[in-house]
Amino acid sequence: MRTVAELIVNGVLLGGIYALMACGLNLIFGVMRVINFAHGEFLAFGALLSVSLVIGYGVPFLLALVLVAAALGAFGYLMQAMLVERVVEGPPIMSLLLTYSASTVFVNGGLLIWGGGYQGMPGVFSGSIPLAGMNLSQARLVAFAIALALTGLVWLFLSRSMLGKAIRAVSEQAEIATVSGIAAARIRYLTFGLGGMMAGAAGVLLAPMFASDPQMGARFVIKAFTVIVVGGMGSYFGAFVGAIMIGVVEVVGGYLLGQTFATALLYMLMIAFLLLKPSGLLGVRVTR
Amino acid sequence: MRVWIVSGVLLAAVVVLPFVTESYVVSFTLHLFLFVVLAYSWNIISGYTGYTSFGHTSFFGIGAYTHTLVMLHLGLPWPLAAVGGGLLAVAVALPLGLVMLRLRGSFFAIGMFGLARVFEAVAFGWSDLTQGGTGLYLPPAYDLRPLYYVLAAIALAMVVATYRLDNSRFGLQLLAIREDEDGAEALGIKTTRLKVKAFVLSAIGPGVSGGLYATYLSFIDPPTAFAPATELTTIAMVLFGGMGTVLGPLVGAVVLSLLYEVLWARFPQIYLGMVGVGIMLVVLLMPRGIMTLAMRRGWLPHGRIALRRLAARRPAPAEA
Repeated sequence: MRTVAELIVNGVLLGGIYALMACGLNLIFGVMRVINFAHGEFLAFGALLSVSLVIGYGVPFLLALVLVAAALGAFGYLMQAMLVERVVEGPPIMSLLLTYSASTVFVNGGLLIWGGGYQGMPGVFSGSIPLAGMNLSQARLVAFAIALALTGLVWLFLSRSMLGKAIRAVSEQAEIATVSGIAAARIRYLTFGLGGMMAGAAGVLLAPMFASDPQMGARFVIKAFTVIVVGGMGSYFGAFVGAIMIGVVEVVGGYLLGQTFATALLYMLMIAFLLLKPSGLLGVRVTR
Repeated sequence: MRVWIVSGVLLAAVVVLPFVTESYVVSFTLHLFLFVVLAYSWNIISGYTGYTSFGHTSFFGIGAYTHTLVMLHLGLPWPLAAVGGGLLAVAVALPLGLVMLRLRGSFFAIGMFGLARVFEAVAFGWSDLTQGGTGLYLPPAYDLRPLYYVLAAIALAMVVATYRLDNSRFGLQLLAIREDEDGAEALGIKTTRLKVKAFVLSAIGPGVSGGLYATYLSFIDPPTAFAPATELTTIAMVLFGGMGTVLGPLVGAVVLSLLYEVLWARFPQIYLGMVGVGIMLVVLLMPRGIMTLAMRRGWLPHGRIALRRLAARRPAPAEA
């Protein structure tokens, strides 16, 4: 019985980090209807940069989190301004090809910088905490708490601030938002930056838990796709709920079926949702 | 007339090449044919029909594994095993197409992207059958010539088939789906059936050539069979040449194969990154590819020659 509870709790903890990543992906999709295939690379860069800062330069973990998230936010802003903006109005095949090839470029850039090996972050949050009869890894608890806080902060930003409201306006009705005096292009840059920042922060939080490598992005981006399909494309809260669900399914499924078939299970879950309930659990206004 | 002379010379060159050059050139040309087959296949579903598939290496991998397993367990010769790989790819593509083609645009792309990774995970995990990461070994192919001619024939067949497609009602219907699927459906085009047909057609090439590639390497493991690099290179070739054109994939395959040889020899570690940059540049600067550009500038005659001729023909006198 204790194992079941432990599995579920661990799934929820993992899901919190997926939420941070997937909410960013969904935000980008919501505003410009572009699927960012390079989203996993923002996560991988976040993880690897933080390892370099913390292990290589002795920067404290939390400071590294702030620095890396800011850097990847700027990176996302530039990627939208310089690349994606040029195809955002065109047929979807062009933006798909663009972000897909950007993903390859980033992976290979990462391989040049960090090499192909796995990089760990030993000694950061390495203990475990006994809680209600379970032994939970400290790294996972801290990561979950920070991820939850960040996802919540971005949600507050979206719902309360003028800029956040402008982002939501462009997401709901781009033309009317433009007519109302919102500079849609600048909102798109900002949104991509925000999404990149969230994925980067998720990467930093993963670094103490798993060894990182430049090719890790592909493994995580599929999970993020699954999350937003299950939760509902374009819905911030949906992505959050979906992420927790996927975290639990992955951990419990991995325990029962083995890692390989848990991956297949997640994929089938995604296809099932795409076919049977394309709007996801909480999706709004979705065209297939 | 000039077209026939040029094609005749090219064909003759392809036939005599293995007898006059060393094995390096044969091996290079063999690779080129392989990518010609893959590029034309991808062109059917993504170029003509407009459904971006990031998972066509699934069929390549399925073909490679079927081929290898059939050879090892049933002892069939490699040409028959390759046919088996193609058949299984079709058998997988038919139900898969019925399911996946209900998804549009980004959703189809996500679905196909995940599919290749799932097949790779299964090839890793099902180690009773596939030996997992260790891979499977085939007897080495010492004489590349039979393989070379078979791949050349398939590549030629793909070019001819695409020419026929481009000049057919079916091809125009696929283009209509690409441009406006709802509009096409409203005009009475049976979109679902045609999309599935295009999808299945586009799975044959990878299925057959995957197996031939396994025989060429005499080895197969999951990262080779389901390599994202294969997918990316194929896409770059079609995109550079021009999606939905007859000669685009051929031009793209030739140019990029030559580039590949130069880059791979000198900078193997940045090759894939360069292909990625290449795709980005084409998307941003020349999204319709070099062949379309050439047609627009008037360096080449416009496409769909047979259809134009048909349209220009004087109508038959009406029967009384």
